[in-house]
Amino acid sequence: MIRTKKNLFMILICILLLGVVILYSYNASRSETLEIGVFVGSNWDVANANSYTIMDKAIERFERQNPDIKVHYYSGIPKEDYAEWLAGKMLIGKMPDVFMVLEDDFNKLASMGELKDLSTLMSRDAGFDKEAYYQTVLDTGTYYGKQYALPYEAVPNLMFVNKTLLQKEGISVPDNDWSWEDLYAICTKVTKDTNHDGILDQYGLYNYHWTEAVYANGASLFDKDGRQSFFTDERVEEAIKFVMKIEGVNKGNKVTQEDFDNGNVAFMPLPFSEYRTYKTYPYRIKKYTNFQWDCITLPAGSEGNNTSEINTLLIGISANTKKEAAAWAFLKTLTYDKDIQMDVFRYSQGASVLKNVTQSKEAEEILQQDMEESEKVIDTTLLNRVLEEGIIVPKFQNYTEAMAVAENDINQMIEGEKSIESSLKILQRSMKRYLAQ
Amino acid sequence: MQLQHADKLKYIKVIMIIINLIAVLFVPGLLYITTQNIYDHFMARDFLQNVEAIPDDPFQLLFMAAGLFIALMISYFVREHHADSMKIIYTTIVADFVISIVIIWILNFNYNGVLFLVFANLITYAKGNKGKYLLMFLAIASFLIADFDLVGLNYPLFSIHDYIAYYDANTQKYILAFYNLMISLNMVAFIIYCIYVIQEQRGTIDEVSMLYEKLSQANEELQDANVQLKEYAAITEKIGETRERNRLAREIHDTLGHTLTGISAGVDACLATIDSKPNQAKHQLELIADVTRSGILDVRRSVNKLRPDALERLSLESAILELIREMNSVSGTMIHFASKVETLKFDEDEENAIYRVIQESVTNAIRHGKASNVWISIEKDEPKLLLTIQDDGIGCQEMKKGFGTRHITERIEMLNGTVQFDGSNGFAVHVQIPIRWGEEYD
Repeated sequence: MIRTKKNLFMILICILLLGVVILYSYNASRSETLEIGVFVGSNWDVANANSYTIMDKAIERFERQNPDIKVHYYSGIPKEDYAEWLAGKMLIGKMPDVFMVLEDDFNKLASMGELKDLSTLMSRDAGFDKEAYYQTVLDTGTYYGKQYALPYEAVPNLMFVNKTLLQKEGISVPDNDWSWEDLYAICTKVTKDTNHDGILDQYGLYNYHWTEAVYANGASLFDKDGRQSFFTDERVEEAIKFVMKIEGVNKGNKVTQEDFDNGNVAFMPLPFSEYRTYKTYPYRIKKYTNFQWDCITLPAGSEGNNTSEINTLLIGISANTKKEAAAWAFLKTLTYDKDIQMDVFRYSQGASVLKNVTQSKEAEEILQQDMEESEKVIDTTLLNRVLEEGIIVPKFQNYTEAMAVAENDINQMIEGEKSIESSLKILQRSMKRYLAQ
Repeated sequence: MQLQHADKLKYIKVIMIIINLIAVLFVPGLLYITTQNIYDHFMARDFLQNVEAIPDDPFQLLFMAAGLFIALMISYFVREHHADSMKIIYTTIVADFVISIVIIWILNFNYNGVLFLVFANLITYAKGNKGKYLLMFLAIASFLIADFDLVGLNYPLFSIHDYIAYYDANTQKYILAFYNLMISLNMVAFIIYCIYVIQEQRGTIDEVSMLYEKLSQANEELQDANVQLKEYAAITEKIGETRERNRLAREIHDTLGHTLTGISAGVDACLATIDSKPNQAKHQLELIADVTRSGILDVRRSVNKLRPDALERLSLESAILELIREMNSVSGTMIHFASKVETLKFDEDEENAIYRVIQESVTNAIRHGKASNVWISIEKDEPKLLLTIQDDGIGCQEMKKGFGTRHITERIEMLNGTVQFDGSNGFAVHVQIPIRWGEEYD
């Protein structure tokens, strides 16, 4: 009697388990909706009126090609909330299938295994050739040698040139192969007290960061995997000394954004996205209106090229997606489709990550649109060169923390509080210890 | 007494199961509740900055942990109900082991106490050396390896401590206390369980030593009996000897004594009458001669009875020929003998074996094979001797033991020889004996 009761109980449990398994697998296979994680607004912190235009076009195209799959995204997540939104989704295990990856989050997401390793998808897809991308731009999506995300949009740093100021001083706009010496010469020439009140009111350079000098001098601070640092590299030392030298021109005066906006500064490093925004209607009436300006490459150091840092917006696939094929197809639509990538020029502020899109005539025509007739347009040759020669910040797990330490030390060196040579040695040692952890 | 003990063990095991159930559900449960809390308070990004990994889906994790534990319970019930089948016990213990590993795996090594359940069952049920020690080794190895800090060195794992750290200090204290209490209770329960098992095993040892005592006592008795038996055998032998002596005496008395007495009496009578009645004496002497002849016959018959075996007094060849002559005279079977070996002279054990094999085979051929002809042949094939006994009897399709064949085989095997029996055409015995030809006997 007791035995039959127990057997019945066991059978019941088995049935229950089976039901649960069936229900679960049914739930998993039911939805044919591809979830997308996107934010509203520009990744480059510039105003953008056409936030969802590209996404909507891409979805429409994708759904036409794959009629049985619907694509869904939550609209209205601003960029500043996006990281929290994505982290929340990650925490509760409801990651969208395909999502935008902010540069700051990429390391964390990749290290926690939330991003799908795309290597096999890429090599298995005959219609996909990674050579189509700019190599450095593509590398922003790698973590310890594996591709975890594909670039969607790239923004190189350029040098803003106040043409009006240079004209007034009788200096021609430097060409794209200019060097630190050229920059220094111009800076010393334009830094002066124009209204003779005893205070400097016209400057050469604003907001030039020491890392920009390091990259332009052909050096890098870390290896790709963050196992080594190179702070004692002579080129790093030289770059820091150059930053000190060029700051010295200002004789201790701090150049402000206001000085720059008023047209009293000749040069300022500027992301390509800002160039696009403030060169086109309607935003061009908002900023830098009282002088003419343009962009050129960043000056080359004695050991390097006119290299600058490139920032990218990445798109990845969730490691736990159940719709791998569809997710890959949609990722390709966003990052590999020529029409969609052309729309990056049309509706966004970055540059396309595909070589033949950025180099195309059509792209140049889009850049030319909305610009005043008289304005010289940044040409695609320059853009292509900057993207090809640009460098990316290495992606390893503690990069942000390591850079915070370096930033603090080097700023003190630049302000002359520490001797450069010995301080760099100390920094290198402490960095080595930190990276070994 | 025994039953009570088993009951106690069962209770402790149930307590262990309950503790493990709570602990196994506590980890994903806390993860799920905390995750919801973090999500609702928009703390996700801050939280993620400080953790190495998170579960893919906390709700699913809770679900899976519960499911796996149910599987563990099913395995437990199956084992309890089929405690008599080693196969089922081992299958369920292996199942337990696998399920426990999966549980530990999905909980990212935050709780590995569930392996103690496997240990407990291993200690109780597993018998036999190989399987038990292999499983024991696997279980201990996995327990050592399945350590959060060890695995966490190489793989990003989610840690329950990260989730506990989300709460304020006071709540943290209580959660941690509860979590550690579960781990400790589980261990304590396991240790108590072990103690009971050891106690039970000590009971078994007592029983075994008692049985051993009984056994050695019985053994002693048996030895005494054996000594007595030997004495008895010696006595029996003596009795046999005496009896044989008596028989000899009786035989001599009955035959030779009787005849000699008759002869002596007859000769006395002759001595008395030989001069007066020569004819009567002559007649008397004829009678005496008859008696003497019959006496000789009697003596011969008696001596024949007392004689040892033919082989003991004759050479092997003569013994065989004698055997054949006897067989030929008592049965209608013709026995043919052919030897290609010049002198049939071997070591005693070899001669003995050959003679017995022939005797046995011929007897078999006549008795079981109803053969009318038997051919015996002996050949030399250095260093072996080939002996074949072939008859034209009914043979036999299936060899059956007990036709005297076992006897033959045993004898030949003792000399490292081989025997083959073939019952398909009449019956044939093929014997090969490695003879020690070393010294030639001339």
